[in-house]
Amino acid sequence: MSDSLVALVTALADDELVLGHRHSEWTGFAPQIEEDVAFSSIAQDEIGHAAALYGLVASITGDDPDRLGLGRDQNQYRHAVLCERPNRDWAYTLARHWLYDHADAVRLAALTDTADERLGALVNKMRREERYHLIHADTWMQRISQGPMDGRTRLMEAVTETVPEALDLFEPIEAEDDALKQGWLPAPSDVLRARFVDETSGALEDLALPAEVRSHLQATEFVASSSGDLIDEGPSESKSSDDKSSSGGRSGNHTSDFGRLWSDLTHTYRAHPGASW
Amino acid sequence: MTTRTTKDAVWDALARVLDPEIPAVSVVDMGMIRAVEVAGDVAKVVVLPTFTGCPAVPIIRKDVKTAVLGVEGIGRADVEMSFSPAWTPDRITEQGRRRLEEFGLAPPTGAAPVLIADIGLPKVAVCPFCGSKNTHNENPFGPTPCRALYYCDACANPFEQFKPV
Repeated sequence: MSDSLVALVTALADDELVLGHRHSEWTGFAPQIEEDVAFSSIAQDEIGHAAALYGLVASITGDDPDRLGLGRDQNQYRHAVLCERPNRDWAYTLARHWLYDHADAVRLAALTDTADERLGALVNKMRREERYHLIHADTWMQRISQGPMDGRTRLMEAVTETVPEALDLFEPIEAEDDALKQGWLPAPSDVLRARFVDETSGALEDLALPAEVRSHLQATEFVASSSGDLIDEGPSESKSSDDKSSSGGRSGNHTSDFGRLWSDLTHTYRAHPGASW
Repeated sequence: MTTRTTKDAVWDALARVLDPEIPAVSVVDMGMIRAVEVAGDVAKVVVLPTFTGCPAVPIIRKDVKTAVLGVEGIGRADVEMSFSPAWTPDRITEQGRRRLEEFGLAPPTGAAPVLIADIGLPKVAVCPFCGSKNTHNENPFGPTPCRALYYCDACANPFEQFKPV
């Protein structure tokens, strides 16, 4: 009965962990020191949320939260492919940050009505912290959209290119029908996706950034097995790494980008089995 | 004359457990203790973490447990971390605010935001060193999840502001 709750919370946790890890890659490398601090802090929040969510899963299944975060095989992670993509450049980093945090805000707002009290309390806490991520992302979008043409163009292109994978954040979770029936998930993923499209389309209009969100919607289909490059195709950290198809993250289909990330993320855990920290 | 109970002694012990990242304040000053229950020799303490991702949480859990076990008459201490209700800065006591300020960390101002959309940095931050309001935000993020970075244009000191959340 709680399997679908576990699936829901795991998907949320995996998104936060994997994107948190990408954000942490800016530590020491961001284009200015204040952004170094900002992305490091956002990463710490996201990974902290993941830890709390894994703790919730563990309290249901009796598993170990560290094992959930660091001890699974690649195809057992349920994050959206968007979260595993390399940071590329500042334009892509901001486009993804903005799209992800607005998507996250939509689903967390819906989850305040979840039938699971513990998840509801945690979501309420997370939303208060996530507010600063949204403000950060919005501030950068405004700053660049009011700046020189080069930055505007690059940001616009990055948003346009990123939208299809951002929509996949709303790929249905496993056992979604049951999660809806039990009230764990108060609204279906496609309803949440429509809210996200409305919100981001309106925001882009206000910013006068002619990046298209809505037109991608019809084109989006979730085909779990269609992921263009599965992990054994060798490392590729470039933007062209893959593919047309981005769906399938919620079913454990990931790209070679995740192979590299997973290897870094879990290295210490795999190197020292049973270590406590 | 009131009689001091074991529960009072537990609260006293908690008042000596310092925040590992802001050692000027205790977990009681910070309003992190939601409840203390004592039944026989068993104490149960419910702690509200200030921020979900705060790396000090496991240390706080351990320190709380150790402190409570040190109270005469207590044989077992259960420490529960809870997000219900969400910790908000209005839980910080007057004493806690004073101690934060002396530490060089501007305490949060105003009432805790009710709506998520109202959460944000204060329009005016007061410098904890010289009291000036002639300050500006340098970064909404800082060295820990709970702090934002400011600069005082009057006394030329950088300072940190506890984030409203």
